[in-house]
Amino acid sequence: MLPLPRFAWQAPDTLHGLLDAAARPGARILAGGTDLLPSMKHRLHRPSLLVSARRLPELAAIYEDGDDLCIGAFATLRAVRRHPVVRAELPALADACATVATPTIQAMGTLGGNLCLDTRCAFYNQPEGWRQALGGCLKADGDVCHVARKGAGCYAAHSADTVPVLWLLGARARIAGRRGTREVPVSELYDGADGRRWLRLEPGEVLTHVLVPRRGAPVVHHKVRLRASIDYAALLVAVRREGSGARAVISAVGPAPVEVRAARAEELPDLAHARVKPLGTHVVSTAWRRHMVRVAVRRALDACPVP
Amino acid sequence: MSDPTRPGGSPPEPPRSRGPGRGPASEVVASFLVNGEAVRALVPATRTLLEFLRDELGLTGTKHGCDLGDCGACTVLVDGVPRLACLTLVAELEGAAVTTVEGLAADGRLSPIQDALDRHGAAQCGYCTPGIAVNLTALLAEEPHPDDAAIREVLGSNICRCTGYTRILDAAREVAGGGQ
Repeated sequence: MLPLPRFAWQAPDTLHGLLDAAARPGARILAGGTDLLPSMKHRLHRPSLLVSARRLPELAAIYEDGDDLCIGAFATLRAVRRHPVVRAELPALADACATVATPTIQAMGTLGGNLCLDTRCAFYNQPEGWRQALGGCLKADGDVCHVARKGAGCYAAHSADTVPVLWLLGARARIAGRRGTREVPVSELYDGADGRRWLRLEPGEVLTHVLVPRRGAPVVHHKVRLRASIDYAALLVAVRREGSGARAVISAVGPAPVEVRAARAEELPDLAHARVKPLGTHVVSTAWRRHMVRVAVRRALDACPVP
Repeated sequence: MSDPTRPGGSPPEPPRSRGPGRGPASEVVASFLVNGEAVRALVPATRTLLEFLRDELGLTGTKHGCDLGDCGACTVLVDGVPRLACLTLVAELEGAAVTTVEGLAADGRLSPIQDALDRHGAAQCGYCTPGIAVNLTALLAEEPHPDDAAIREVLGSNICRCTGYTRILDAAREVAGGGQ
C-alpha cells in the first residue's frame, strides 16, 4: 500500500471559488490525478489542499469558438480524442491523446493536466526510499543532479505527449488568476532553463482552456517508446511542413520542448539531430535516443503531406 | 464520469451555486452507487476508491496491484467508463455509479466476457483478470463487435505477466464475434 500524504479536499462550484482555493498556500489543482496522485504517493509533492474542478463541468466542455476549438482544460484525453472536430480537423491532436499511457488513463487524465505534466527523470520518479538511498536529487530532497553533476540546474524531461502537436498547431493556453485572465501561446508556456521551474504559471493561476486553431497545415505526431502502451516517451516529435520548409518540435529531451526550423524540409532531420542532445534522464540509452532524433523526425516528415 | 464533450454550439451555462459548505475538508461525505447499491461514505479526503472497496465494503475482487496507475488490476467502471480505483478519490465520486467485477455477473450467471475468459483458461495467477474483465466489459458495451486492434488497445491498459495474452484475446474475440 502506498498511502497518500494528508491533505484537505475542496470542490468549489464557481470559477471564482476555484481561483480563491487555488491561491491558498499549499494548494494544488486536482484534475485527472493520474500524475499528481502517484507522485504524491512517492512523496514528490505534499500539497495541503487538493482543489477539484468536478463541480465546474464547463471547464471540461469542448466547443467550437469561431476559428478555434475551445477545449476546457479539464476535458479528458478520451473526450478530446473522440471529439468529432478533433477527429475531422485536428487528427494529430487525436493521435497525441491516443499515445498517452493507456485508454483507462486517457479516460481519467485531462488535456490541461497533460499540459501541466511534471517534468520526469529516472532519478526523480522513484519511490521515496529509492531516492533517499542516493541522497535525493535537485528536483526532490537533494542538492545534486545525478544526470549532470556539474550542470547548472535540473534536466528532468518535459514529457507531455500533446504539447509538441499543440505547439505546432499554434494553440493558446487560457490562464485564469484572481487578477484576471491571460492567453499565451503553448510555445511560450515552458521554460527550458530548469526542470524544477518548467511551467510558466504564477502561484494561484489555473489553466482553464486550450484554444486550438482549426485551420492550417497538418501536423504529424510521432512518439518513440519501448512498448506500444503505457510508456512515457523516450522521444516526442511533431512536425509541420510550411511551404518548402518545415518545423519540428521535439520533446522528452529536457525541461522544455525544442523547436527546430529548416528552410528546406529535407534538411530538418539533420538539423534536429545537430541541435537536440538528450540527457540521461531515461532508463533508455541516451545514445540511442540521440540517434532516434534524426530517425523520428524523418519518419514524421515522411508521414506529413506536402502542402 | 461521462465524457463531457459538446460537439458544437455555444459555451455551456455556468453551473448553479449549490449553497454554502464548500470549504476545504479533511473528512468528506460522498453518496454513490456500488454495483447498484447506495453507499454513503464518510472518509478521510485521502481515501482512494480502491481502499474503500476492499477495506470498507469487503469487495476484494478489485485487486491492489501497483497502486500507481501502471498495472490496471484495480480497474472499475465509474458511470460506465473504466477508471483506476487506486487513483480515484472517494471524495470525487458524489453521485457516481461504480461497477466492480462483483457487479458484472447477473442472477448468479457470469457475464459473457467472464464466461469466455473462464472457458478459454485466460487466467493463470488470476490477479489481472478482474481488471481485464471490467475493461473488456466497457469495450463490448460500447462497441459490441470490436476489431482486434480495438481489443488490443484496451488490453494495453492491463498488465498480465503470466498468460502472454493469447487466451485473453481468444476470449475477447469470441464475445466480439458474437460467440462464433
